[in-house]
Amino acid sequence: MTGALLAAGLACMLAGVGVDLGLGTRSRVARIVPYLLGAAGSGCLLAVGVHATLSAPAMVDIAPLFDVGRGVLRVDALAGLFMTVLFGIAVAVSLCAASWAWPEVGRAHRRAAATGYLALLASVAVVVCAADAFVFLFAWEALTVSFYLLTSAQRGSAEAARAPWATVGIGKVSGACLLLGFLLLAGQTHSFTIAHWSAVRPGALHAVAWVLVVAGFAAKLGTVPFQVWIPVGYPAAPGPSRAAMAGIAANVGVYGLWRFLAVLGRPPVWLVVTVLLAGGVTAFLGILFAGVQSRLSRVVAYSSIEHAGIILVAYGVALTGLAVGSRDLQIVGLVAGSLQMVAHAVAKSTLFCSLAFVEADAGTDDLDALRGVARRLRWSGAAFGAGALALAGLPPTIGFVSEWFVLEALMQQFRLGGLALRLGLAGAGALVALTTGLAALAFLRVLALTFLGRPARSTTGSGEAGPLGRAGLAALGLGCLALAAATPWEVRFFALGLAPILPRGGVLQALKSPWVLQPVYHGFSILSPSWLWIVLPVACVAVLGMAALFSRGRYLRVRRVPAWRSATSGVAGASSYTAFGFANPLRHVLGNVLATQRTRQLQTAALTTSGDEGAELGVSGDVARTAHLESRTSVAEPFEAYLYRPAWKAVRTASDLARRLQSGSLNAYVAYMLVALVIALAVAAAMR
Amino acid sequence: MPWIPRGLREGIVTSPYPRRPDGYDPGFFGHVEVEPSVGDTAAARAAAGACPTGAITIAPHPGRVQLDRGRCILCGRCVDLAPGTFRADRGFETAAFRRAALVVPSGEPDDAELAEARAQLARRVRGLRRSVHVRHVDAGSDGSEEWEIAALTNPVYDVQRLGVFFTASPKHADLLLVTGLGSAGMGDPLRQTFDAMPEPKVVIAVGADAASGGMVGEGYAARGGVAGWVPVDVFVPGSPPSPFGVLHGIVAAVGLLGSRPREGAPDGAGVPGTPR
Amino acid sequence: MTAGRDAHPAAGEGDRDRPAVQAIPFAAARRRVRDGARFCGLVAIPDQAGGGGGLGLFAITSDDGELAFEEHRPVDGAYATLTSDVPAADWYERRIHDLFGIEPVGRQRPEPLVFPVPPGARPPLAAGGDPSAALAPDPSPTPAHVHGEGVFTIPYGPVRSGVFESVEYLVETSGEDIPHLRTRIFYKHRGVDARFVGLDVDDGALLAEREEGPASVAHALAFSQAVERMAEAAVPVAAQLVRVVHAELERVANHLDTMVRHTEAAGQAVAYAVLSHHKERVQRLRARLCGSRFGRGVVVPGGVRRPPGLSPHGVLSEVGELQRRIDQDVQRLMDTPSFVDRLRGTGVLSSDDARRFAVVGPIGRASGEEEDVRMSRPYGAYERLGHRVARRVEGGDALARQRVRMDELDGSFHLVRQAVDMLAELGETGGWRAAIPPVSGRAVGWTEAAQGELLSVVEARDGRLAHVTQRSASFHNLAAYGSAFPKDIFTDVAFIEASFGLSIAGAAG
Repeated sequence: MTGALLAAGLACMLAGVGVDLGLGTRSRVARIVPYLLGAAGSGCLLAVGVHATLSAPAMVDIAPLFDVGRGVLRVDALAGLFMTVLFGIAVAVSLCAASWAWPEVGRAHRRAAATGYLALLASVAVVVCAADAFVFLFAWEALTVSFYLLTSAQRGSAEAARAPWATVGIGKVSGACLLLGFLLLAGQTHSFTIAHWSAVRPGALHAVAWVLVVAGFAAKLGTVPFQVWIPVGYPAAPGPSRAAMAGIAANVGVYGLWRFLAVLGRPPVWLVVTVLLAGGVTAFLGILFAGVQSRLSRVVAYSSIEHAGIILVAYGVALTGLAVGSRDLQIVGLVAGSLQMVAHAVAKSTLFCSLAFVEADAGTDDLDALRGVARRLRWSGAAFGAGALALAGLPPTIGFVSEWFVLEALMQQFRLGGLALRLGLAGAGALVALTTGLAALAFLRVLALTFLGRPARSTTGSGEAGPLGRAGLAALGLGCLALAAATPWEVRFFALGLAPILPRGGVLQALKSPWVLQPVYHGFSILSPSWLWIVLPVACVAVLGMAALFSRGRYLRVRRVPAWRSATSGVAGASSYTAFGFANPLRHVLGNVLATQRTRQLQTAALTTSGDEGAELGVSGDVARTAHLESRTSVAEPFEAYLYRPAWKAVRTASDLARRLQSGSLNAYVAYMLVALVIALAVAAAMR
Repeated sequence: MPWIPRGLREGIVTSPYPRRPDGYDPGFFGHVEVEPSVGDTAAARAAAGACPTGAITIAPHPGRVQLDRGRCILCGRCVDLAPGTFRADRGFETAAFRRAALVVPSGEPDDAELAEARAQLARRVRGLRRSVHVRHVDAGSDGSEEWEIAALTNPVYDVQRLGVFFTASPKHADLLLVTGLGSAGMGDPLRQTFDAMPEPKVVIAVGADAASGGMVGEGYAARGGVAGWVPVDVFVPGSPPSPFGVLHGIVAAVGLLGSRPREGAPDGAGVPGTPR
Repeated sequence: MTAGRDAHPAAGEGDRDRPAVQAIPFAAARRRVRDGARFCGLVAIPDQAGGGGGLGLFAITSDDGELAFEEHRPVDGAYATLTSDVPAADWYERRIHDLFGIEPVGRQRPEPLVFPVPPGARPPLAAGGDPSAALAPDPSPTPAHVHGEGVFTIPYGPVRSGVFESVEYLVETSGEDIPHLRTRIFYKHRGVDARFVGLDVDDGALLAEREEGPASVAHALAFSQAVERMAEAAVPVAAQLVRVVHAELERVANHLDTMVRHTEAAGQAVAYAVLSHHKERVQRLRARLCGSRFGRGVVVPGGVRRPPGLSPHGVLSEVGELQRRIDQDVQRLMDTPSFVDRLRGTGVLSSDDARRFAVVGPIGRASGEEEDVRMSRPYGAYERLGHRVARRVEGGDALARQRVRMDELDGSFHLVRQAVDMLAELGETGGWRAAIPPVSGRAVGWTEAAQGELLSVVEARDGRLAHVTQRSASFHNLAAYGSAFPKDIFTDVAFIEASFGLSIAGAAG
């Protein structure tokens, strides 16, 4: 049954690819059928996931169906958990994508974009189900290919040309890390079945394998120093495919981390501390840069980096538990990470899906041009609002619950003995706390200044989602809000899903009582998101009611007057805070991290005579008739500025050298070969 | 923090006004009083001719001398030239509910009309008695009225004790203090400010400039007062009026005087023509 | 006369030719400023007020206390701009363009400043114009000066939060910092200068007081001294001394006002109460001396209207007590770190900018422009009184300006005491006022107001005023205001504005 469903799901994807490649993007039907098939396939895979999780701890081995040998594809509870989350979202995203692809205008329709989307979903399914290293790596590379198809769908600009390059580059790095790590592990255990690798003994090779595996998955997730592809890669993908990349595909990195936690066993302490700090730094940098972006797709992309960091921190907590042998700490970390992963997946998908319609309507995703868009596009605006609140981490959304749990997990550092781990947890805790504050700032900026502002231009509303898209958006938007109320059930589901790694009873300790969460440890702190959903609205209504009551109705008598603004006679150009301007304090205060550069230059046109406003602008003498001050503020990503640019330069230099080497004479070649042979022999002798 | 003992050391410096009369310095010249009985004299004519703002009129028939406090800038020339008719007085309770009532001694004693104006204003401001929020707009003042209005928050006048607060936005204001002679550029901003105030609202024109344009009067950019732009409820004469004068205008406008009977002053205090 | 040029801003060739045809105007003034003289102003004086005649432009410069005037008569209502060589002339040229329609050639059409004349209308004081006909300024916005990503304009004013004079500051920013600030003062332009025409000199003094309320005494004094110079009248010594008392108390009140506004902006509630109480005391002392809290009606051409209302002894004891208390409290304020930190480094006006705008008064003295006309061009009793040597203050920030003002408070009290002592010694006075005959001619008077050097250019015919320009220090200095925000953010604006201590009434005219 499970096998059939899995096969049906993958077959839907394949059929979709056929339709897309065969029929192109001319007709509406040809455009939306692949996505509808994607939705159907995702539905099948969702069913597989739910079934596998609920039937835990039974393992569904489905290899015979494909006749590729036993133990190649299997769906255990952990795979089921991820399939449930990811393909549940994929159904909604596919509906949005179909709705997005329906109209002709405002969208850059490309052949192979749908192919990329479906390939992505299929690869995700295979990665999650893979029990064998070869299948795993094959699907992993297929994922990279699908990323290439998606990020190269829009062409024409230098930025667009960079996107597939960076995406595939980092994808290759990720694949290479995994390949090396897997080969090391396979070499030790003489098996390509992933589950068998738990036999590897601790030691130098084990540690190297750990590092390679974590790096490989973290690169897909988008943590430092691999995050550079995300802000160029995500925005380059068309429409709701971004949701698939950020909300679905990135989470296979999480899956990998979770899976190998059980496989690899106790990690070296320095790796744990590195993971914790890398996660903290990722989260902080991600949200910091999200706060100063002026394109909405980049804001959301950077926010993905932030979430990747928070998830990595939670993973670090679990690693800490593994390193010190504390099962409870492992549980806290993984439950926190899983909650964060779900929040990330749902909220990111919501944002990118609604953004697809917003961008189609406005023709741009420049924040200042989107002002008031929630008044034009009710559905997309509402969904975006829900997603943004979740990403801002405000109660009672899922973002609040997950961030609360992560912070609580980090606060358990007092239970540890080792200084390094305690410092690692404390440092990560500080960074995550800073991150949550900045997240509120960053997303309230987007929400208040962009979505809720006074409309910047006349309304058309032509980009709004159709019925399918509305259904998808509604499901995702409600997910951002209502899933928080359902957190206790979510935790119970995790208990089933995490069973292959952690004891089910232990995970259920995260529930103090049926409706109240606690960070596993008893008596530390509690939170009931479900109660928040009752208390907050009731409190609001109660306060309003009391105010109306005690003022004897005067509270309800509103005196209306025109809007007031210092009685100015008006100014030329923009006269209210731009989204860019609102982020400027951040550029000031954290100028060191952001490497903020400010320039003010007096621009003068060619027709120059003598003094004019120049006197007021700060110059005298010869200035132009059309003089104005040019004000520029820019920021630079530290990893790009200090790691990749120099590295790229080094690679260029090396390749230049290599070319020089290549164009030598025959004698030189023979000499090189001789030298190489001598070195090889020497190494072989030394090894022996 | 050395400031707290410093603040306490000063003791109470706040004026008792309007609960009780304030014994403000005898040297202060608050307004010009006209002796009604003297009538038309050569000295009074000389004073009328010398008045820089033409505030003094002498009606030909009964020979009655009248002074328009809305124009008077308190230069004191009339007092020097015709001491029998004009007297420098130190009282500051000179606010009037109508522009015409600034002309003293008043023509016909139409107390009924004046009482009606007061009653209408009192009805409008009934809700404000315990808390009045004030917005000030400068419509072309010379800058001195702003000093005197700002002085109301110093510890001597301390209007907060009366529940009077200055507010940043006209949307929160009940009372508009307008200063200045109505400079052409401020017409629109003043109107916008007035429109942004919710009902009920009260407008007080502060200073002779706001009533008549004062010494500058009218010109290409001066409109000779603000009454053409906003409906003024209370006029406070003076160039500039003292902080007490402004305060009297405020308390008179919002009925703070009426709500608390004051010793030593009849209930009509503040109505022109009944000086203490 | 200028319509063609305005319609075609690119027609610069013709413009550039023009100065070559006629001699470069104000050549001497340009040279003097280049050689280190201070630019004091550019004044337009029509040949006949409101008539159809010509008009003379006077560039005023000051070199080592010596005022120099250079006249230029514009041809066809235009002249080669002075701003190219003397940046401080910018606002003057714009003002003259607004009011008289005289075009400074060689710069873009000047942005309106004191009165944006609506399209098609004749400037109010232009030849053939009617200065009494009501004219509405054209408030339409002018193009932004700053371009760039995320740049927007915050209009701050004209109705601002608090009891302030009406002015609009346009902050062009990409958020938080203040790369550029423009000042729109036309809202409260009253056309006071035009109202002098036809008045007698006594009424002129009363009107001069209304130019700028906080500097009433200084305006009346500068005006009266111009008239006295024209009449060659000898002002009685006693009257000169009384003028010093009033002028210095006005300075004390103004400087206290800036400090009160500083404490208000810094949220120092007790210091605010204490200092505003001191200011009230000063105002009351002034009222006891003359009946007016602003010293109005005291200074008249020829002397003072009446002797002080307090005995010399009374004044001395009042002033001594005031000084003692103010000294203590201002010192306490300067020992309060949370206050001083707010001023330090805030609103730095560099000495280059101060030089460029030829800034006068305390603002100039805090930025290296040290001239104080009480000493460099002493007038009235200041010639007889001993001055304290001003302390040198460095920095050009709001704190430096506060220090200059503290120093000037000391100096003012010192001068008042000397003046009152001398008054007491004089015993029998030779009257309080010299007679002023009906005067004709042209003269200039000056004072050091609390805001800085104040010039009064007066022309009279047979005792009637034909033209008066009261060149307020507020107008001259406000031009530099936009340059005082090099590193500052929005929350510093209140401090910087207070530390400039200027009156918009004086600037807008």
